[in-house]
Amino acid sequence: MWDLSKRSLVRRLVLLAAAWNLVVLVLAGVFLTAQFRDAAIRRFDQSLAVLTDDLYAGSTVEDGVLKAPVLTDIRATRAYSGRYWTIFDQPAGGGGLNVVERSRSLFDSDLTIPVEQSERLMSEPGKTLYFDLKGPQNRPLRAAALLARLPGYPRPVVFIAAEDRSPIDADADRFGRITSLALVILGVGLIAAVVVQVRVGLLPLFRLRREVASVRRGKAEKLEGTYPEELAPLAVELNALLTHNQEVVERQRTHVGNLAHALKTPLSVMLTEAGQRPGALAEVVERQAQTMREQVDHHLRRARAAARSQTSGERTPVEPIMDELAVTLERIFQDKGVEIDWRCPEDLCFQGERQDFMELAGNVMENAGKWCKGKVRAEAVASSPERMTLTVDDDGPGLPPDRWSDALKRGQRMDEHTPGSGLGLSIVDELARAYGGSVTLGASPLGGLRVTLVLPRSEG
Amino acid sequence: MRILLVEDDPDLSRQLKLALGDAGYAVDHAADGEEAQFLGETEPYDAVVLDLGLPKVDGVSVLERWRRGNVATPVLILTARGSWNEKVAGFDAGADDYLTKPFHTEELLARLRALLRRSSGHASPTLSCGGLRLDPRAARASVNGEPLRLTSLEYRLLHYMMMHQGRVIGRTELVEHLYDQDFDRDSNTIEVFIGRLRKKLGSDRIETVRGLGYRLTPLEGETSE
Repeated sequence: MWDLSKRSLVRRLVLLAAAWNLVVLVLAGVFLTAQFRDAAIRRFDQSLAVLTDDLYAGSTVEDGVLKAPVLTDIRATRAYSGRYWTIFDQPAGGGGLNVVERSRSLFDSDLTIPVEQSERLMSEPGKTLYFDLKGPQNRPLRAAALLARLPGYPRPVVFIAAEDRSPIDADADRFGRITSLALVILGVGLIAAVVVQVRVGLLPLFRLRREVASVRRGKAEKLEGTYPEELAPLAVELNALLTHNQEVVERQRTHVGNLAHALKTPLSVMLTEAGQRPGALAEVVERQAQTMREQVDHHLRRARAAARSQTSGERTPVEPIMDELAVTLERIFQDKGVEIDWRCPEDLCFQGERQDFMELAGNVMENAGKWCKGKVRAEAVASSPERMTLTVDDDGPGLPPDRWSDALKRGQRMDEHTPGSGLGLSIVDELARAYGGSVTLGASPLGGLRVTLVLPRSEG
Repeated sequence: MRILLVEDDPDLSRQLKLALGDAGYAVDHAADGEEAQFLGETEPYDAVVLDLGLPKVDGVSVLERWRRGNVATPVLILTARGSWNEKVAGFDAGADDYLTKPFHTEELLARLRALLRRSSGHASPTLSCGGLRLDPRAARASVNGEPLRLTSLEYRLLHYMMMHQGRVIGRTELVEHLYDQDFDRDSNTIEVFIGRLRKKLGSDRIETVRGLGYRLTPLEGETSE
């Protein structure tokens, strides 16, 4: 669950940033390329304007004949060099322009001014206009043109200079390619930065998750870490929820416990009364009272086990409990002289509540104490990072293998001849299951029964 | 034999008084914690049957107050609450036996007989080592008057060390006295038990003599009687 929404949160932020980056970078690329092209064309146009100005300024009229200046630019003399000029005059009464002079580079072709450009020239005399046109060999040209009057010349004259524009187009394309490449690299860098940012920015969230997980696994009782102000209220709320949960469970348990215990004194009275007046009625009362007692015990455990699934894990050190139980049980079986030899690593912790572990270990060890001839051995070990095993052996008569599974069932009383509750092992079984653990019976090397409890362990 | 019965349920009290009377005991009855505490402190009873769920002062508190006031009368706790948590708490408070409701009267009488039998004949010679005391008949030990809670193996080890206090005792010798049979216990058995004893007695009382074994000595400033 968490994992999925975690990924989508990161992905959402990264995708959003990527989409925005894409739009901004594409716009920037288009804008930059256009600016570059414009600037290049302006510069180009300026050099053309210089040429038209030179033509205009250098042209002379001798005896009504227009003479073009002698220009030194080698490119204007070599055929099809890419740089051309032409001087037209406009015959009176309109019509096409007549070529008066032209650059040698034009060789045997002419520059033709598109009609709409020549109209613009007519309407705006004295102003240099710039436009594209097709030149010799169908090359794209950029041209600057100026319509002016020369003193002593009867007709308006058009000076036009043109140059092959493919170098600027090539430059602009090259610039566009380099810009695109740079922007792609920039975009990738930005997205990488966003990914890092999101990951680093969300670190407290991941830390919160780890803390919640360790609370659930019973390694911590509440969230301890400090969080940024956006997450701190969440951590506070989570802690409040944990506390509330524990309170509810505790209340529930107390409630059920009170009810169950309140029934026990009346049951005692009934049993005693029945015991003192033998007869058919007394037998029924005794039998029913026993059944009621078992029911009460059973439901008491059930309530505790049900409460279990809701509580957050607690960690309970095992060693002190083993010690207390051993001392207490030896006291209980004092007359019999039971000796309990127990072993437990000092750092072993049960993941769950103290009283539940006491109930589990206490019942198993009590059962062993009831049946043993005098020796009980209990050994708790960490069997894996997540599991612990408690093995309890006795030197009593044991049970035949075919009755091992029965002994764990509710209502099976293996110890009818020993005073006390006959429910011990079935309670242990129910409680161990509630903790996701297990109980198995087997033969003990001491000669009696071996009960093996596998329970959740809290590491660290 | 005089017995104090502390029980607040009138029906159960009546039944138990009858049963105890029939068994030949003289019975006094207290129906709440305050009365029980007062009677227990002032009258020389041979045993007490104490219910834990009592009005005014609860049974465990009454028991703790008695024990703090050096009332050593054996106490059998009677309670509806049979969880191990509560049993251990009861024994911690100083109970000698524990019976969970509902119970059969015969069982109560049998437990009571055993309790009285165990407690008869006190005043036995005690072993001491500084503030450490051990009563071999009652199988009880204490440090500076505070009772120690020992398992029988720990008690046995302490007993042996007190009988040979001041002398360095080797591991093999200790293992031989700890187990009456040749159990193939792992080699660090003695370390485990010495560790537990140190935790309960205070770490300075048992000294490790490297390569040789252990020695029990009184603390500095304490005199061995």
